[in-house]
Amino acid sequence: MEATDEQLMLAYRDGDAVAFDQLYARHKGRLFRYVLRGVKGRAVAEELYQEIWIRVIEARARYAPSARFTTWLFTIAHNRLVDHWRKKELAVVPAGDDADEVPAGADEAADPARRLEGRQAVARFAAALDALPRAQREAFLLHEEGGLTAPEIAAATGSDPEAVKSRLRYAWQKLKQATDG
Amino acid sequence: MAEHDERDEDASRRYRELPREEPPPALDAAIRAHARRVVELHPAPLVPPTGRRQWYFPLAAAAVLVLAVAMTWHVEREQPDMVAVAPPPPPVGVTESAPAATMPSPAEQKAEVRVAPKAEPAPPKAAKPAREARSGERERAARDSAELAKQQSAPAAARSEVMRQQALVETPEQSLERIAKLRAEGRHDEADKALAEFRKRYPDFRIPEETLRRVERGEK
Repeated sequence: MEATDEQLMLAYRDGDAVAFDQLYARHKGRLFRYVLRGVKGRAVAEELYQEIWIRVIEARARYAPSARFTTWLFTIAHNRLVDHWRKKELAVVPAGDDADEVPAGADEAADPARRLEGRQAVARFAAALDALPRAQREAFLLHEEGGLTAPEIAAATGSDPEAVKSRLRYAWQKLKQATDG
Repeated sequence: MAEHDERDEDASRRYRELPREEPPPALDAAIRAHARRVVELHPAPLVPPTGRRQWYFPLAAAAVLVLAVAMTWHVEREQPDMVAVAPPPPPVGVTESAPAATMPSPAEQKAEVRVAPKAEPAPPKAAKPAREARSGERERAARDSAELAKQQSAPAAARSEVMRQQALVETPEQSLERIAKLRAEGRHDEADKALAEFRKRYPDFRIPEETLRRVERGEK
């Protein structure tokens, strides 16, 4: 039977570096996309992504599985992003009126291999996602990439669970309007 | 809630059509190498933390510190009687400098470590009049005071080390209060350093909005 995330993190805490490799392989893509779609620019995303893992590594000695590992990981990621946003004094992302607001995945859309059916719909969805208010986008990404439930998102971000549900609902509505329109 | 789930499914489907970005392999390698290095340097925590009882550790550390200070204070008070039969203080740089040589730096010296040799009863080689012994004690106290004063006037690096040691025995809430106080006093550099240290130490700690405003901007 495959070890759970919590078991792997405990093994790493106790000195098993291979356990970290497994854990990392499981979560790297999800965490990377969460960061990438939460900030401007790939270089910044990569830097933050690395810092988040460093924080995980440095916190290993204090790790105790009081919640799901994913919730813990994305709580650390959320805290790091909040620090970043505050430092940059980024306000709520404007609704696509900035040239820099190109979705992080837009350059990928230019890759011929990815020009499959529904390319336009995908691009519209990406733009709509990028244009969401930060809290709504983050709730959506934590749900999609972190696989977190509304109460877990609330725990990770220090928000009210009802507010999180509301953010998810609004996010979905806006995404739907953008893609249907 | 069924409606919400249905909507969620639709959004998820759309979302999964987006490019599945991955971190570059070089970044993967760097992170994994760092993880391995850390494990090689520190194979495992001495005492694994157990769930919600993590608060025991700062509390235990604080208790040890308080005990050490109390014992020091007690020993200091009892000293006149004990030193009445103690030998005269050895020449500076011989006996007392020996334990100091084993310590990495003055900033890393903790109070209990510094006073520990003093608490040990000295072998009664020769009895001395109490007045003379007290005079020796006074000299020693003066040297200690001078050392303390030197530490207090040490550069910022030493002070930040002291702050770091402080942070080790505090609860997260106490650390934040200390940072807010530094901010309120206009000691922004120290507050920034302490906050960065806090973030490293408690990466998953959610700082309440009101507290965050105080520790980041010094708002009341």
